[in-house]
This record gives sequence, C-alpha cells and structure tokens, in this order.
Amino acid sequence: MIDFEEELKRFKPSLEVEEAEDAIYDRDLTDMTDIMQEIFKEARKQH
Amino acid sequence: MNAYNKIIAMSNALYNDGLEKAKVRDLSGAVQSLRKSLRYDKGNIPARNLLGLVYFEMGEAVDALSEWVISRSLQPKGNLAEHYLEEIQSNRSRLSTINQTIKKYNQALQYCYQGSHDLAIIQLKKVLNMNAKLIKGYQLLALLYMEEGKYGHARKELRTAAEIDNGNLLTLRYLREAEQKLGEEAHAAKEGKKDKKKKAMSYQSGNDVIIQPTNVRDFTPLTIIINLAVGVGLGMLITWFLILPAIQQDKVADAKKAEVEASDALVERNQEIKALESKIKGLEDTIEQMKGDSADAQKVVDNYEAFLKVYAAFAQQNILEAGDTMEGIDVNLLGAQGRASYQALKAQVDEQYTEVVYKQAEEDYNAQRYAEAVTGLEKVVAAEEDYNDGYAIYYLANSYRETGDMVNAKKYYQRMVELHPGTQRAGRSQQYLNQMEQQGQP
Repeated sequence: MIDFEEELKRFKPSLEVEEAEDAIYDRDLTDMTDIMQEIFKEARKQH
Repeated sequence: MNAYNKIIAMSNALYNDGLEKAKVRDLSGAVQSLRKSLRYDKGNIPARNLLGLVYFEMGEAVDALSEWVISRSLQPKGNLAEHYLEEIQSNRSRLSTINQTIKKYNQALQYCYQGSHDLAIIQLKKVLNMNAKLIKGYQLLALLYMEEGKYGHARKELRTAAEIDNGNLLTLRYLREAEQKLGEEAHAAKEGKKDKKKKAMSYQSGNDVIIQPTNVRDFTPLTIIINLAVGVGLGMLITWFLILPAIQQDKVADAKKAEVEASDALVERNQEIKALESKIKGLEDTIEQMKGDSADAQKVVDNYEAFLKVYAAFAQQNILEAGDTMEGIDVNLLGAQGRASYQALKAQVDEQYTEVVYKQAEEDYNAQRYAEAVTGLEKVVAAEEDYNDGYAIYYLANSYRETGDMVNAKKYYQRMVELHPGTQRAGRSQQYLNQMEQQGQP
C-alpha cells in the first residue's frame, strides 16, 4: 500500500539552469585516489 | 598491480557496466554504476560524459550540463562534452524550454505540498508535454492519480516511464501497486455480477423443496395487459407532466425572446424617428433663419438703393424727389460711412427741400388745391414752424379750414396768434377762431 505523503517526500525540487553553476562549484569531486593520497600523507606524517 | 591501477581498473569496470545497462535502457542502473565509477576515479572522462548523456535522457538537463561542464574543466581538449554543451547552448529556445520545464515541475511539486492535486496534475501534464522524457514527472503524476483512485491513468503514465528507463525501481514499485489495485477492482466487479446471478429463491411446499430462480418470471396474459396499461399510463403521465410543460416552456421562452427582440427593435426605431424629427425641426429653423436673414439683407439692399436714388435726384437738382425719398431711408440700416454720407446729404437736401416744398405748396394753395397744399405745408412746418414769417402756418390753417378739418385749423390759427400777435394775419386768425367757437366747433 502506497502512502502518498511518504512517497511525496522522495520528490525534491529540480535545480534550475541558473543554479547549475553554484551546484557545480559545491560538488564534492573527491574520489578514491584523493582518499588514497590523503592516507599516504597521513602515513608519511606519522613516520 | 598497485593500488592506483586497481582503482582505475575498478572505475573502468563500473563504466563498462554502466554502458551495458544504458544500452538496454536500464538508465537508473547505469547512473548507479557510472557514479560509482566516478567515485573511484573522477578523471574517468568517458564515464562522466556517459553519465551526462544518461541524465539528459532521463530529463535531468541540469545534472547533465553539470557533468559535462566538470568533464570539460578536467579535460578541455579533445572532449565530447564540449560538443554536447555546444549543442545545447547554441539553441537558445531549447535551453529556455528546459528551464521552463524545470520551473513548472517545481511549481507542480509545490501544489502537491499544498494539497492542490488538481493543479499539480494540470501542471505536470504541461511539463510532460514540454519534456516527454522526465521520468520523475511521470512518477509524480502517477502517484497523484493513484491517490485519486485513478489506477488506470497511473498505469498508463508508469508504462511510459518504464519505456524510457526500465530499471527504475520507483516506477516498477508504483506500477506493481497500480496493477494490483486494478486487479482488485476487476475482481470485485466480477464478484458483483456473480452475486446477482446467484440469487435464487427457494421455499418449502409440503415435502418438496422448490427452488425458483428470481430472474424467471411467470407472465400471464392478464399480467401482460396490466403491465402494458401501466406502462402506457406512465408514459402518458410523464409526457403530460414533464415533456409537454418543458416544450411549452421552451415555446414561451422563445416567444418572450422574440417579443423582447421586437420590443428592442421598436424602441430603436422610435429613437431613430425622434432623432430624425429633431433634425428636421433644426433644419426648418435654419431655413427660417436664413429666410429672415435674407429678408433683412434685402431690406438693407433696398435701403441703400433708396439712398442712391436720393443721390441721383439731388444730383439732378430734383430736390423734391430727393427729400421725399430721404424720408423713407432707415439710418440704422446704413453702415458708418453710409450714415455720415446720409447726414451730409440730408443737410444739403433739407436746406433746399423746405424752400422747394413751400413753393409748390403755395402754388397748390393759390390754385385752391388745399389737400395738396396741406401735405406740402405740413412738411414745411415740421421742418421750420415759423417758415416765411408764419405764412406757412397761416396757409396751413386756411387749407385745413377749407378741407373741413377744423381741429387742425384751430390748432394752427392759435399758433399763428401766438407767434405773430398784432399782425393782420393774426387778427384774421382770431376772427376765424371766434367764428368756430360760436358755431360750436371743437
């Protein structure tokens, strides 16, 4: 049985074209290689 | 293989998986795989470009643009993302349509939050008209239909969404719900028909159990006749009380409408007639005024003609005619110049006129033409009362006496006595006055 109110929460407003620029700047582009580099840095510091 | 290479390999594997899913239109699955691929290696440009493509196919234009912009910034040269961005940005109207679609979708969502489901449905239909690939648009619309109990409509929208993205879990879940509900409804409808069919009547009659279906009736001829009669009677009653009055009402309404229209037309005609009558009156007044103006103009013309006649007579030294004509001239009808000329001419005419008139009147008096003499002498006395040392008055009085006008004769005899007492003429005048008194004349 579908609950309308609960399902409605899944739907969020879409970004407009004017807001795309800010969304891009705020995007977190961290990937595994970045994490690995962080780990290596930490390890070097400790040693 | 070092860790870095493993990460890159994993990213590529996920990219391949995403590509396979995209080919079979499992777009949601493709998005998941490609995003994971980028989590391993954000520099995986093919994965990012493909992700943008998939987003665009799902109707998510801003997400698609974002991925391509990031892709271009990571790899500015030799990048397909450049081509995709140019394709969209070069077409202004398309970009505008995309933006409009997003705004309308957000508006529809707002209506849903506010509880205005009807407005949300209308708005979503417009959105899907503009962007036929917006999957979440179909999903939201289907949700609204299901909330209203319109599972058939919901299923239709969800099937369209499933054609675009056949792996979308939300679409599949809603579709299952809609089909389940539709199945329940169909089943309930069938049960209802069966129930009707099952009804049968059974009763005990002695040792026998009689089962009689309810849909079988026992019709006798009498029953048939009665049924027919009742049917005909009902039909007549319905016709008499419902249909005929309605027809009558329509006729009355039509007649009233026609009457109103005729009345309006009549009023309009009357107004037109009144306006025309008023116009006619106005024109008649104008004509009268013009006639009057014309008459006045003629008077002026006649007046000036008389003035010219005076001039002509005076030029010919016909003083009598000049003076006589001058009497008939209306100075008010002359202009300023005309009046000045008139005054100058009058002075000259008057100077000679009295003399000429007196001379003529004297001739008439001596010739015993007393009536003509009175006319002339009246003019002379009017111009100069004591003209010719009172002879004008004396002759005038005598002329009046001779013509039998004793009233005027007495009047001028008295003036004679007053003006020239002690003269012979005054003595004779007094004698005449005494005679008149004795004779009892007034």
